[in-house]
Amino acid sequence: MVDIKKVTKLLSEVVTPTRVSDKDFDLFPYSRDLSPAKQKLPTHVVIPESREEIQAILRIANEENVPVYIRGGGTSHWDAYLAQEPGIMIDMGKMNKIVEINERDLVVSVQPACTWAKLDRELRKQGLTYLCSEAGGPAMTVGGSIMKAGSGPHGTAKFGFHGNQDVVTLEMVLPNGDIVQTGSAAWPSAGKFERQCLGPDLAGMFIGAEGTLGICTELSIRIRPATDIQERLLATMPSLDSVIEFGHFINRHVGDEYLQGIYLWVDPTAPEVFTLMMDIFGYEEEIVNHRRDRIIAKVKELGGEFGDRAPADDYFGHILTGLTDLFVAGVWHFFGSGTLRIDDIKFMYDIWKQELVEKRGYKKAGFGGQILPRRWLAFMVTNYREPAEWEELVEMAHGIDELILAGPVIPYGVGGRDGLRDIVASRDTGYYRLLKTLKKTLDPKNILQRGIFIPEEALK
Amino acid sequence: MIYACGRCNYCKGVDFNDRCPEIFTQVWESSTARGRMAIARGILEGKLDYTEELAERIFGCFMCARCQEECKKAAQIDVISITKAMRADFVDRGIKIPEGGEKIVETALSSGNIFADTPQIHNQWTEGLEFTEGSGTLFYPGCLASHRFKEKTNILVRLLQAAGYILDFLGEEQTCCGTPLWVTGKLENAKQWAQDYLEKLQARGVKEIITPCPSCFRAFDEEYPELLGLETFPIIVRHTSAVLEEIVEQKKLKFTVPINKKVTYHDPCELGRYRDIYDPARKIFEALPGVEYVEMARNKENAFCCGGGGAVKTMFEDYSDTVAKERIQEFSSTGADLMTTICPACELNLTQGTYMVDIEARVLDVAELMAVSAGIVDEEILESDYFPED
Repeated sequence: MVDIKKVTKLLSEVVTPTRVSDKDFDLFPYSRDLSPAKQKLPTHVVIPESREEIQAILRIANEENVPVYIRGGGTSHWDAYLAQEPGIMIDMGKMNKIVEINERDLVVSVQPACTWAKLDRELRKQGLTYLCSEAGGPAMTVGGSIMKAGSGPHGTAKFGFHGNQDVVTLEMVLPNGDIVQTGSAAWPSAGKFERQCLGPDLAGMFIGAEGTLGICTELSIRIRPATDIQERLLATMPSLDSVIEFGHFINRHVGDEYLQGIYLWVDPTAPEVFTLMMDIFGYEEEIVNHRRDRIIAKVKELGGEFGDRAPADDYFGHILTGLTDLFVAGVWHFFGSGTLRIDDIKFMYDIWKQELVEKRGYKKAGFGGQILPRRWLAFMVTNYREPAEWEELVEMAHGIDELILAGPVIPYGVGGRDGLRDIVASRDTGYYRLLKTLKKTLDPKNILQRGIFIPEEALK
Repeated sequence: MIYACGRCNYCKGVDFNDRCPEIFTQVWESSTARGRMAIARGILEGKLDYTEELAERIFGCFMCARCQEECKKAAQIDVISITKAMRADFVDRGIKIPEGGEKIVETALSSGNIFADTPQIHNQWTEGLEFTEGSGTLFYPGCLASHRFKEKTNILVRLLQAAGYILDFLGEEQTCCGTPLWVTGKLENAKQWAQDYLEKLQARGVKEIITPCPSCFRAFDEEYPELLGLETFPIIVRHTSAVLEEIVEQKKLKFTVPINKKVTYHDPCELGRYRDIYDPARKIFEALPGVEYVEMARNKENAFCCGGGGAVKTMFEDYSDTVAKERIQEFSSTGADLMTTICPACELNLTQGTYMVDIEARVLDVAELMAVSAGIVDEEILESDYFPED
């Protein structure tokens, strides 16, 4: 049991009472995320403004044996940052500053709760960009995306998911309060310019760990010059095989760096129509035109047809900027999502079409994905009405998740007990055992994100 | 509608405090639209209840509709209606609302205006003006324009009359429009108030109301019909923005005196986001010689609140002041000489903002610039060291 008044007092001493609350109405907004995860209430919300305050919060949490959960934009799709047990919710919202834009080294340092939109707005003032975008970018945080190794419909084919190559250094507060710098920042007299140096790539250990191994307090990531040259194409392909061949063409013959994204969408009302939306990336018009011409030729060779780009503009527009009409048919849920080889997209598509659309008769979920460098990130997504359709949706989505993950698909995120945690734990792989060893070593009291990724009982 | 919230966080803004003045002042997620929907859902599902402590989150909302501007793209939740309903729930359940809210309603009900002015004081702005009873066109200044801005209101009427509008005025019969009632959730007298007012106006032969106050404008045009179960209000209601634009478009006055100032404009929430009225002021500035117009960074549907909305000024004055200072600093960063707007509440809060930020700048009504340019008043009112007698 958490001694609520005692913890409130202790937290108030380290971050001032104006940024600590144990009032139920202040806790309720932190009890859900973007997913249909069941409501989970923290006991406290605290809003730190510095890494030192986070250190102090973790010290209190360890002394009082109270779990700590981390909240950025609060838009997790799989219960990855909700309080699995009564505990302290750290709202990172005030740590959202852009620390430095280093235009010489093309590296930007930000605090974790900086949103992608804020970052891009400031970068573009200097003719720079990060280029990748998250769905819902204006509200999603850089730290949140990278700590979950997230991606989005507008990731680059060249650079892949957030954290793949673009993370240069991290500053992490470990569960015991130690502060760790990774990459070149680990060498205090050097600076922030290189991811892999000085032994193991420790940044990689934190990326995708969903905050279980440390709290990110600063990140530096690669940036690049912005370009106004844009070419967007929309094509309809005759079959999934042709989509797969097109994916290989991009990866093998054209080059990863050709596209900012190939986004596949299959609508449940027309499951045999495969729409591809493509943004071609390049700094010179001549190069972009050359790439466009090769892509057009290949799509035509594969039997595809090009159409008006307006639907792609509309789609990217409302996903990346305004979320226009996104929730009109109900709130959103991603499920059946994961990473897989290019050829294996047929496995996921078959489950979507046969198991979901035909067998279960669920015709509201679309099937989509994007070709990242040499692989897919694919998913099913639906609108549903809360609370009327919630129970049916959750049961159906979990069944599909189990089917998907029994195949060649790696979960996109793991999360807590309403996420994919139990499915991941049941595999009992060497990787998972190493992760548990790391968790036990770094966080012996299991303070940080208790119950996220690894069930508590698995750590005893 | 509450369940439509997709929890996307767009209401909070790119910078997490650049859109919503409530989270700008109160920092909590419970101060955002997403947070309010979570609280409303908790109450609806019986997991939370209204308490006196909760009042700060619900009555601390400036009702500026900036969150709604985002939400109408994604989930189309009428955040303002939900906020109003929650405020009314406080009152219905007998839970204490912030003292300032209680007080403003009591004052309006007992004295007829929100400042407890005597009719003589309330109507001092009419000095030297003549009205035509029964003209059918009622000039209705509302409480703020009557009490706080005597000179501005006087200038506005001189401008309208110079343009040929034959105006009636209620004189000592003018009382508050009733906005404090629905903004604070104290609806028990609202219907009767609206009914009485409508009867008074109809008995006087009023065919059209012209008001400089967006709250009064919306009271007659939106709230009264809703309270009275009418499809539309039987009297035409126009905000002065429309009338001033008409003066320019129909060339009812000649604007010859150059303003020679760099001017910016603050979009009042209740005109802009509530009613989609953004263009009149900007069109008017185009017609005035010597106006160098510059926009603030947050403008039109993205405009930041002045701090005067939602009756927060009367309930949580510190929050209101903080927001006013932020807006004035945004004005300062434009390099403009004059801050203009077209709402007495905005003018009041922003004027106080200039004092708090300690900058020498005047906050003027668009009508005042028109009056200068038309030669109706001296251009000295444009100067930062000018202090009106009121």
